Amino acid sequence: MQTTGKAKEFRAGRKRQLFLRRLSPLLTILLLLLLWQAVADRQIIPRILVPPPADVYAAFTTALADGVLAKHTMTTLGEMMYGLLFGVGVGLVLGYAIAKAPLLEYVLSPIIVAFQSTPIVAYAPLLIIWFGTGPSSKVVTTAVIVFFPALVNAIVGIRSVSPPLRDLMRSLNAGPWRTFRLLELPAALPVILAGLKTSATLAVIGAVVGEFVGSGSGLGVLVIMARSQYNTPLVVVTVLTMTVIALSLYGLVALVEWRLLDWQRRAAS
Amino acid sequence: MLTLRRFATIAALLLTSLVGAQADLTDERILLTFIPNVQFAPFYLGIQHDVFSDAGFDVALQHLQEPEVLDLVAVGQANYGIVSGEQVILARSRGRDVVYVFEWFQQYPVALVHASDLDLSDLAALRGLRIGIPGRFGASYSGLTTLLASAGLNETEIELNEIGFNAPEVFCLGAVDAAMVYSNNEPLQIRNLAAAGECGDLNDVAVLTVASQVDLVSNGLIVNRGQLDEAPAQVARMVGALRDALQIAIDNPAAAYLASLPYVDTLPGADTLVVALTDAAAQQQDFLADDPTRSEVAASRRALAEQLSEQFDGAALAQFHVLLNSIELWDADALGFSDLASWEAMRDTLALMNLLGGELGDLDSAFSNEFLAVSDE
Repeated sequence: MQTTGKAKEFRAGRKRQLFLRRLSPLLTILLLLLLWQAVADRQIIPRILVPPPADVYAAFTTALADGVLAKHTMTTLGEMMYGLLFGVGVGLVLGYAIAKAPLLEYVLSPIIVAFQSTPIVAYAPLLIIWFGTGPSSKVVTTAVIVFFPALVNAIVGIRSVSPPLRDLMRSLNAGPWRTFRLLELPAALPVILAGLKTSATLAVIGAVVGEFVGSGSGLGVLVIMARSQYNTPLVVVTVLTMTVIALSLYGLVALVEWRLLDWQRRAAS
Repeated sequence: MLTLRRFATIAALLLTSLVGAQADLTDERILLTFIPNVQFAPFYLGIQHDVFSDAGFDVALQHLQEPEVLDLVAVGQANYGIVSGEQVILARSRGRDVVYVFEWFQQYPVALVHASDLDLSDLAALRGLRIGIPGRFGASYSGLTTLLASAGLNETEIELNEIGFNAPEVFCLGAVDAAMVYSNNEPLQIRNLAAAGECGDLNDVAVLTVASQVDLVSNGLIVNRGQLDEAPAQVARMVGALRDALQIAIDNPAAAYLASLPYVDTLPGADTLVVALTDAAAQQQDFLADDPTRSEVAASRRALAEQLSEQFDGAALAQFHVLLNSIELWDADALGFSDLASWEAMRDTLALMNLLGGELGDLDSAFSNEFLAVSDE
């Protein structure tokens, strides 16, 4: 009986901890909002630079009602999705190839590293000139920025497969496809998904940088237009929308990870 | 020993006078747009030729985006900035209390560049054209709206392409039929590309300036309300100093170019060019001693351009030509003045673009010429 009581108490404690842990991000956001309102009310920073949350909310409802926010968000989302598909796809395939053929790494790594180490804002204007002023150039800027995490994590993931397991697959006469499907992919998946989380958050940056350089629609354009009209609340709304998109994408990948790696957790427990 | 002591005394005196002189100066930051460029030569020249320091200012320059310039001036983080007129109207309609006190560009610099064989003598010919623009914001967009309104057209009757600040490349690739540009810069770049055979089969370009249709208020000096109320005499001195620096740049472009060299890293400055410009600046100074008329000075600039073209190629002189083109936009009988009509035209354009909402803006408080008059006294 005593043991059961202690167990109940332990479980209740765990529940409280879990509840508090889940509540803490919301509390942080609430605290930030209160701080923000206080800064605006007391004019610590002029309202034209930091508009109060109420003004931002008003700008949000207006932009939502007239369809402006939805229109620009859809453009950016479209560019991001195509960029992610293209950049991550190429990154994973190339990453697998490099992991299997080290010679390829010697040949390609100088180009890949050079491309990656150059800030995308520096060559984004060139991408606009090369790929046109339409959505394709924004898809390319997104693809370029999400490519590297996918590539690196694919290489690391595939190379991290334990050699004894590879020997086991060989002893079972498993061909390349079966080895990939039954060993390499499941073993590399945690690392690949970690890279995908990074790529998902970077995708917003890629699309918005492309839009900043030259575009007719998208959240990057909305920021420029709002800034040029001195509509600071709308700038804040747009930035927050970008943040929400990035967090949602991150959450989506985390959810996929949770579902795909369920077997790993069960095996561990 | 005596020599050493005398040397030390002289050095101490010099140092004291230098420190004293520095202490008398008021530190001022002037916020500029864009990046360091020869188009800002009057400011570089004002510092290098002690025009600002003679007026009591130790001026530092900083380049930012236009909305940032305006906001920082509005909240008093800097007292002075350079922005275009439409930004003043827009910002004031959103609670930024800044006042425009000196019109630097007397002509609106935005223009439509197009192939010279495209006849736009009738503006209705704009209908259906693919027109490139940096984006639906800023002076280029205001300029295009004005051109279209002059033609009785609206945006839906053209094919508008947002091309960023890549007009020369996009135009030369043939992706647009025409592009909104700054008349003092990009047309020259496109002509240079065409001369190098890198602009398709284009031979030459023509420029349709917005100023040829409507007089819109252009780039100028803004000041925040606090500075205006608390130190009007200082504002008048700053306005006077800017006008003097601008006049020197207009009168002596060679000196203005040389003054820009330390500020603009990529400005062509080969030794031979510097020597030629130094000679030209000295000769111009002698010429100015005879008190020439404005048209005589303009003729002297053209003569200098021709003389230099015989010695140097297009690439070496490209930025000098940008400066000369800019001077044409700055030059006027009375530097710095802006008139109500140009402000009204700009306000009407912004209203046409639905950027002012219900509020059309109080133009009387948006600009002032009174500090020009004070600085004359």
